[in-house]
Amino acid sequence: MIEVSNLTKDYGTVVAVRDLSFSVGKGEIVGFLGPNGAGKSTTLRVLAGFLGATSGRIRIAGHDIAEAPLAARRSLGYMPESAPLYPEMRVTEYLLFRARLKEVPGSKQKAAIDGAMARAGVAHMAGTVIGHLSKGYRQRVALADALVSDPPLLILDEPTAGLDPNQIREVRALIKDLGGDRTVLLSTHILSEVEATCERAIVIDRGRLVAEGTIEELRTRQKTSSFSVRVRDANAASEAAVSGISGLVVHAAESEGARRTLHVTLGNELDAEAAIEALVRALTAAGIGIHALVPAQASLEQVFSELTAHETALAKTEPEGKP
Amino acid sequence: MNGFLAVYRREVLSLWVTPLAWVLLTVFLLLQGAIFYSIITHFASMADVSVDTGPVQAYFGQESIFLLMTLLLVCPALTMRVFAEERRSGTIEALLTAPVTAASVVLGKYAALLTTYALIWLPTLLYVVILRKTGVVDWGVVGSSYLGLFGIGAAYLSLGTLMSAMTKSQLVALLLTIFLEFGLFILGVGEYIFDPGLLRDVCAHVSMMGQMEDFSKGILDLRRVVFDGTVTALGLFVTTRVVDSWRWG
Repeated sequence: MIEVSNLTKDYGTVVAVRDLSFSVGKGEIVGFLGPNGAGKSTTLRVLAGFLGATSGRIRIAGHDIAEAPLAARRSLGYMPESAPLYPEMRVTEYLLFRARLKEVPGSKQKAAIDGAMARAGVAHMAGTVIGHLSKGYRQRVALADALVSDPPLLILDEPTAGLDPNQIREVRALIKDLGGDRTVLLSTHILSEVEATCERAIVIDRGRLVAEGTIEELRTRQKTSSFSVRVRDANAASEAAVSGISGLVVHAAESEGARRTLHVTLGNELDAEAAIEALVRALTAAGIGIHALVPAQASLEQVFSELTAHETALAKTEPEGKP
Repeated sequence: MNGFLAVYRREVLSLWVTPLAWVLLTVFLLLQGAIFYSIITHFASMADVSVDTGPVQAYFGQESIFLLMTLLLVCPALTMRVFAEERRSGTIEALLTAPVTAASVVLGKYAALLTTYALIWLPTLLYVVILRKTGVVDWGVVGSSYLGLFGIGAAYLSLGTLMSAMTKSQLVALLLTIFLEFGLFILGVGEYIFDPGLLRDVCAHVSMMGQMEDFSKGILDLRRVVFDGTVTALGLFVTTRVVDSWRWG
């Protein structure tokens, strides 16, 4: 549905997106993830046809956006960040305008508008002037606008920004519901959103692709691993026993009677298996009984901060944009 | 075509549901009423009036400087928000990601402005009806006079649309448009200042007052129509290129 190859977009001297390539298949719900200022909105604006790419090729539903911009735009529904709307229009007036603009045939316009309002949950606000709506409702009107022409592809820029927790849940449910027959690409900087709605995520930072894959694949990309060890240790001697092993850090410990749980993080460069062996040997040598050794489930949060922090560190070492 | 009609309808609606068009209409009619009143009282005191110098000709022709001054107020105010406001509020993003061409957007908006301009002039037809009650009105002259006003308005609105596309600030758009249109108007005054020669000829050709003087006598000078048309087309063409260029901003 979306094929991006070697997309670069610069604003004069500032490079917002560089050499970005990814693709999104039919029926997928993909999260476009990155910290603020990573180039998410810029990329989505290029995909939606609002900005032109400095270089690179983009195909939307098989149409090259440089060669057939109208055909490409016809097949997508785009919801811009912060949902800009005309405050003087009523909800139905606005959606009628958008339906006409998106070439919905006259006989189907009413049904299309009613359907879009029902899906986005603004049907009871149909006659209200947009300027009088709350932020949450405006966001939903913009969503209804994206849905009104029933496009096969939806590009949503931060669809849940500014909503309250209930509305966020509703919008997420709606997005999941839209998947299946439609392709959805949504941007966010909130990880739980990707975990809740998306099958796949594309992570970018400083305009470059950092990681791409299913949520599970991303979890396994975690570089540092951590685990917890539960031991019989009445004298709290276990920490001293393992402290000699290099690259192994005990970042927390808690006691419950004679039982003690150590939360251990393994350093990046370390051979994890050898380190665990050394840990077990050290503990048994100190006469401490091991009850359990539990690998911690990598949270996406951690993967994300590692991926983007790594990128920042990398960027610092290489001078950029200087001839 | 679809896009053009959708943009046109939305723009007309927006102009008339917000106070802007109504405020302009009120101010415009107050000023026109004052001009018309002073002309009528002037002619009422005259015993004999020749066919070519009646109140209709005075209103549209010899005294057209007043009428054009009101256009310098009304036209820039009408056009200032047309693109500037869309860019300031961000609605331009939704508009340009719909399957419409930049030309449809520009022409749709421009056609809506021109319609509004025509609607603002519409009540002044009453003046002609009033004159008809007490004397003879040459409808050909009335028709050509309105055509002249339409031509000047078309050119002014086109320039204003371009200025509005150049900035995100309505105020800056307003000032730029007034500056530009007043400059064009002042250029026409050069006809009375410069010695006979090329400069004076150029000034005479672009003179709005000259145009109204001709048209109010029923003289349809094709050169005037071509000039108005050229300014209009040029303004709209450049505006379309400006809108296209935003993709590369």
